[in-house]
Formats: sequence, C-alpha cells, structure tokens
Amino acid sequence: MTTDLDTIAMLRDSLERYSADRYSFLQRAPLLQLPGAFSAQTWQDFAEFGWLSLRLPEELDGLAGDAVAVGALMEVVGSRLLLEPLLACVVVASGLLLKQGSAAQQAELLPALAEGRLKLVLSHGVSHELCRYAEGRLSGSQQAVLHGDIAEQLLVPARDAEGQLRFCLVEASAAGVSRQAFRLVDGRGAANLQFAAAPASLLQPQAGAPSAEQALAEVCDEASVALCAEALGVATSLLRITNDYLKVRQQFGKPLAGNQALQHRMAELYLLTEEIRALTLAAQQAMCLPAAERARTLSGARAYISQAARHIGNEAIQLHGGVGITEELEVSHYFRRLMVNAALFGNRDEQFLRFVELSLADA
Amino acid sequence: MNKNVRERAQRLREQVRQFCRQEMPEALLDKAHRHQVLDKADYVQWMRLLQAKGWVAGHWPKAYGGQEWSALERFVFEDELARQGCPWIIPFGVKYVGPVIYSFGSEVQKQRFLPGILSTEAFWAQGYSEPGAGSDLAGLRTQAVRDGDHYLVTGQKVWTTYAQWADWLFCLVRTGNEGKPQSGISFLLIDMRSPGVTVKPIHTMDGYVHVNEVWLDNVRVPAENLVGEEGKGWQYAKFLLQNERTAGAIIGQAWHVLDRLKRLAREADASGQRPIEQPLLRQRIGGFELRFMALQEVAYQAVQAMVDGSDNGGEASLIKIRGTELYQDVAQALVEALGPAGIAFDSAALHSATLPPLGPDDSGGILKEHFYNRAATIFGGSSEIQRNIVAKVVLGL
Ligand SMILES: Cc1cc2nc3c(=O)[nH]c(=O)nc-3n(C[C@H](O)[C@H](O)[C@H](O)COP(=O)(O)OP(=O)(O)OC[C@H]3O[C@@H](n4cnc5c(N)ncnc54)[C@H](O)[C@@H]3O)c2cc1C
Repeated sequence: MTTDLDTIAMLRDSLERYSADRYSFLQRAPLLQLPGAFSAQTWQDFAEFGWLSLRLPEELDGLAGDAVAVGALMEVVGSRLLLEPLLACVVVASGLLLKQGSAAQQAELLPALAEGRLKLVLSHGVSHELCRYAEGRLSGSQQAVLHGDIAEQLLVPARDAEGQLRFCLVEASAAGVSRQAFRLVDGRGAANLQFAAAPASLLQPQAGAPSAEQALAEVCDEASVALCAEALGVATSLLRITNDYLKVRQQFGKPLAGNQALQHRMAELYLLTEEIRALTLAAQQAMCLPAAERARTLSGARAYISQAARHIGNEAIQLHGGVGITEELEVSHYFRRLMVNAALFGNRDEQFLRFVELSLADA
Repeated sequence: MNKNVRERAQRLREQVRQFCRQEMPEALLDKAHRHQVLDKADYVQWMRLLQAKGWVAGHWPKAYGGQEWSALERFVFEDELARQGCPWIIPFGVKYVGPVIYSFGSEVQKQRFLPGILSTEAFWAQGYSEPGAGSDLAGLRTQAVRDGDHYLVTGQKVWTTYAQWADWLFCLVRTGNEGKPQSGISFLLIDMRSPGVTVKPIHTMDGYVHVNEVWLDNVRVPAENLVGEEGKGWQYAKFLLQNERTAGAIIGQAWHVLDRLKRLAREADASGQRPIEQPLLRQRIGGFELRFMALQEVAYQAVQAMVDGSDNGGEASLIKIRGTELYQDVAQALVEALGPAGIAFDSAALHSATLPPLGPDDSGGILKEHFYNRAATIFGGSSEIQRNIVAKVVLGL
C-alpha cells in the first residue's frame, strides 16, 4: 500500500508552512530551554494538524502513511531541527503497537498517541542484556533512551520466564521505575532507565502478527529509513545556508565564493547531498522488498548517509569560519543533530558491516 | 634527525613527564584529566607552577627571564605537556605579546610588562580579528586617531579569547589609510579597564564562553603604549605569528587523543567484548597511527630545519594542517567509540564534581574538547589559508 502523492505533498507543505511560521531558528531557541526541550503547545498543534496520526490505519482516522509519507515529514524535521518526539511516537511506538498490540491495546493507545494525549516511547537505548519480565513485573535497565525523559509510558523489550522476547508497557511514573534525565549534545532530552520489579503489562499480538523479533527489526528499519530522510533535510539545509554564506561573506576584497578552492568544496557537498537524496528514496522503496534485500539497501543507505552527512556537517562549519562553532548560528546545531542521529538505530560501522555481509552473502 | 639532539631533547621530555606526574596538585590534575573547564584561578596556579621550574617562558632570552631554549627544546616541552594531558599554557602573554615587547618595545615597556607576564600577574588577550577581518586580517578597520599624547581608539574586535579575564589587550589598529592595507597598521597595548571598553560573550557549542566581542568606543590609550613604530604593526604581527604556529602542542594533543582512543578500545565492556577486536575500529586506529608517525617525523624534520636555519616558511603550515586535521579525525572517532556517552552532554559535569550521566568520568570533557577543537582548523590561520601559504611562499604559485 502506498500513500498517494497528493497526500504526501500536502503533508510536507503543511509541516513546512507551520515551521516557517512558528519554528524559525529564533523561535526554536526558547523551546530548547523548556524541560526536556518539549513544548506541550507545539505537540498539541502537531496533533491537530494530523501529523501524529500519520501511521494510523484509515479505520482509526489515520493516513496509513508509508515510508515515503513518513520521509516527507522527517525531511522537514531535519531541515527545521524539530525537537519533538515525532520519530519516537509516530514512527516507532505507533509502528510497534500496530504490529504487536491487541485490538483493545490499539484502540486504547493509538488514538491517545494521535491526539497527543500520550507520549509513548520505545526504550531502545543501550543495554548489555535485555530486561526481564515475569508475573507482571519488569526488571533491568537501559541507557540513553532518546525522549525517555518526557515519556509518560514506555515500551520495553524484555525476555519472559520462557526466554521469549515480549514488549512490556510500563507507566514511567510507576513505583519501581527510576529515571535519570539528561540532555543530548543536540539539546533533545534522554534518560537512563532502571526498572526494579516495576508493574508492567504485555503487548498481546493478534493472530497472524509477526514474531516479536521480526516486529522489532521492522520498526528499527522503519526508524532507520526515517532517519535517512531527516539527514536529507539537514544536508539540504546546510548546503543552502553555506552556499548563501559564501556568496555574501567578503574577505580579501571579494566574496569567499570567488575562490575556486571553495567552489570545488561546495560542488562536493552538492554531490553528497544528491547521493543522500537518491539513497533515501531507494531505502524508502526497499521497504516493500523481501527482508534480505530490504536490509541490504537500508544498511547501505544508512552507512553511506551517516558518513556523507558527517562530512557535510564538518565542512559547513569549516567554511563558515569562527561563526560556525557558535550557539547563535544554526550550523553548529545541525552538526550536533547529525552526531546524535548517527548513533541511533545502528551506527555507521554496524550498518556498514551488515551491508558487507548481505552483499557478500552468496560470494 | 641528529641522534644527539634527540637524546638531549629526550632528557627534557623525561623531566617534564616526571613533573606532570608528581608535582601537579591533585585537584588540578583531576580537572585536567577529565578535560573539565578550568577557571582563571586554575590557570594562574598552573602557569605559576611552570614558572617556578623556569618553564613558562623557557624560549625567552636569559636577559628577560627565559632559558634560551632551542627550537627543539621548545618543541619537546610543548609536545610532552600536551601528551600528559596538561592544561595549555595560555599563550597570549608568554608566547605572543611578550616576545613582541622584548623584541620591539621600549625599555619602559619591557620593565613595565614583562615581569607581569612571567608571573601571570597580568592576563593578556589578542585583539586582531574583526567582523570584517578574519582570514583577511589586513582588512581590519579599528581606528586609532592621535590626540595629543593619546590615541583615541574606536572599532570592534571579535573572537577575543579570554577577554573576560584580560587585564590587557594587544591590539592591531589602523593609524593610516594610505598605501597597502598592511602599511597603516599599528600595534597598541590597551588597558581593558579603560572607559569605552566593553566585552560581550560569544557562546560556543561546547557550552562555554571562550571567546568574546570587544567593543572599543573612543578609548583613550596613552601614546606610550604604542609598540615600536607607528605603521609597523603588521611586521610585528607577522613576527608574532611565527610563535603562534609552534608545532609541539599540536603533536602532543594528537598523541594524547589517540592514546585515549586506544585505551578506550582496549577496555572490555560489560559483556566482556573489547572494541579493539572489531576489525573496522582496528583498521581505523591503525590508520591514525600511521598518520601520527608521518606527522611526528615531519615535525622533527621541521624543527631540525629551524635549528639549522634552513627552513623554507612552509614547515609550520605543514604541521598545523596535518596536526589539526588528524586531531579532529581522532577526536571524532573517540567520541563515536564512546557510544551513547558520546552523545550525552551534561554541562554541569564540566564545571563541578558531578560525573557525566554515562560513560567514563572524562566523557563529558572529551566531548567538550571535540567541540572546541572543531575550530582548530579555523583559528591561528585556517587550513585553507595555510595551504595558500604553502602554494605562495614555498611553491611560488
Ligand atoms: C575558538 C576561536 C578562538 C579565537 N581566538 C582569537 C583571539 O584570541 N584573537 C583573535 O584576534 N582572533 C581569534 N580567533 C579568530 C580566528 O583567527 C578567525 O576565526 C580566523 O582568522 C578565520 O576568520 P573568520 O572566522 O572570519 O573566517 P573567514 O575568514 O570568513 O573564513 C571562512 C572560510 O573561508 C576560508 N577562506 C577565507 N579566505 C580564503 C581564501 N582566500 N581561499 C580559500 N579559503 C578561504 C577560510 O579558511 C574558512 O574556511 C579565534 C577564533 C576561534 C574560532
């Protein structure tokens, strides 16, 4: 099932218009100062515009958006450096509920997510071993969960007494849950989470649902594709901002853009941005391919994009000179956003290795 | 390089190493090893400790309180301090303005300023860059107009490191508008407490204020604070630049960050895995080692050329380009190797005894250094400007 192009254009335009109006870089600065860098008002706006119900099926008044539709929003998320947990709530949590929730769980939680009443976050941080679930209780810990600081409920992958992978639903405020909140380098919030026999209920997959392992792999892939689109938004912005700057900044009696050495550097950034665009589309389209093929394209895209985006971030700072490292200019914020994104859902090395394995599988 | 020279340098290196390990006060050592933010008092304590050894200005002539170190000794000293992860020697007094004053200043200026520089009694800042004059420094516009036995100075400086702590600013100002832009520039010493001086902080992405805007509004500067001759400031600034680009610290920093990466990679994580076993990381570190070897050998070659007087003007650029670029690449790899600790940023942990929310105790400091040193290829002559120098000065293009 693919989302039609009009819907996609409408989504992109609406979020872009909203951001141009209310989420300029200057308007964003005070949002960054809020606890968890989260504005309830903005989130409510997102709900009202329908962006939070992007993934929901039509029966639940959603748009049933596919990877391209998600990408249309995520590109704007990247270009405007939106701080809200769109990826965590709309792509990941909603996605997992759709794959693993019972009808009752879906009916209860999905509308709450879509209406912005609930912030549900998959606890997919770093853990050396999975959390454990037994008899309605969850134990274990996870580190550096993005938006774990502002989540009201958590979805935690855990092993049950039989060693099966299950997904636990936990109230973040429940007894037995402790969280240490902190900021990431890009200003978004995160938390280290500790569960000590915290009361938990399980997602109850419906008949015909994929296995828990498969469902988890799928939402991670979906998040990965979304991150490709976000990187595209960052890259196009950095390219434009840097290009504009080189035309106006004068040194040695001419614009910086007059130096051929710098023209070539910009040409390289353009090539990389176009590669990011093409690979993002390839990754989105690969989502309906068989698992192995999908995985190969996706890992390859993310590995290439992480590397390319990092180069663009570094060059954007270098070509701006001193102002590039200041808080006052967007460039350093894009740079830091890329750092965080590169560490989410498989870093460059992990993605590259997976790509190599899948590419050489029949060699 | 000559074996004897290396051996002599090795002895100084050994002394510096012992000093760093045994004579650094505990609190300072801890802050330095965690790359925490040092405040002014920390720097004063640090530089005075070095001065007690006669090291803070070892490269100065004996007549002015130095040790007349050779280029090699100076190189080794800076290299080893940085390898040991010590704080940097704030260069504006001892490295930059001090040598300008003893080389071109009046007798009165020498007696007035040099002792305070040696004892870190007076803090100095460098007022060169302006909003319109970055890489193109000669485009500076801050005006100094003679008014009896004073200059009236008006203009704006930017990126002025530690202006918030400074007692004095050594400043390039325009005293003439005729001829080449370089020819109307003079070198003035400005008391930061003068009426009309305003310092405004610039916040950088490492969560700290290192740099500032310095606004000068009709500041009255006694004419006796002019160094050397009016209109010769560019010449003195170029002399100073030779000191700005000394190589040792860059090499030591690159070594230090690479050493940290190797130590991190050797540590087993909770599941018993050592990152160093991962082929990609192994290959990456190997690549850094190779680049470091080339950098170090090239640095020794350059120092030898300086000792022999056979240098061609490109050496400092070579080392600055290769050293800062290697440093940045290694620092980036180190931050990535920290995993989630490499994206967590708690600025409180940089200023207090608080530990970072995850990762090793120095993880916050590693990030802070990574962010700050993103500018290492920009300040002190950017990599692009260094390449222009090589093309022009060495290759005659
Ligand atoms: C952390 C920090 C500390 C500093 N401390 C001080 C200080 O204490 N005192 C002081 O006076 N200054 C200081 N500086 C200023 C520093 O020297 C300038 O940032 C530097 O000279 C570059 O100038 P700019 O930032 O205006 O960049 P620009 O000159 O605008 O350069 C922007 C980009 O264009 C490139 N470029 C410029 N010209 C050319 C060309 N002809 N060919 C090819 N590429 C070119 C540059 O390499 C750079 O990549 C500091 C800067 C920083 C970031």
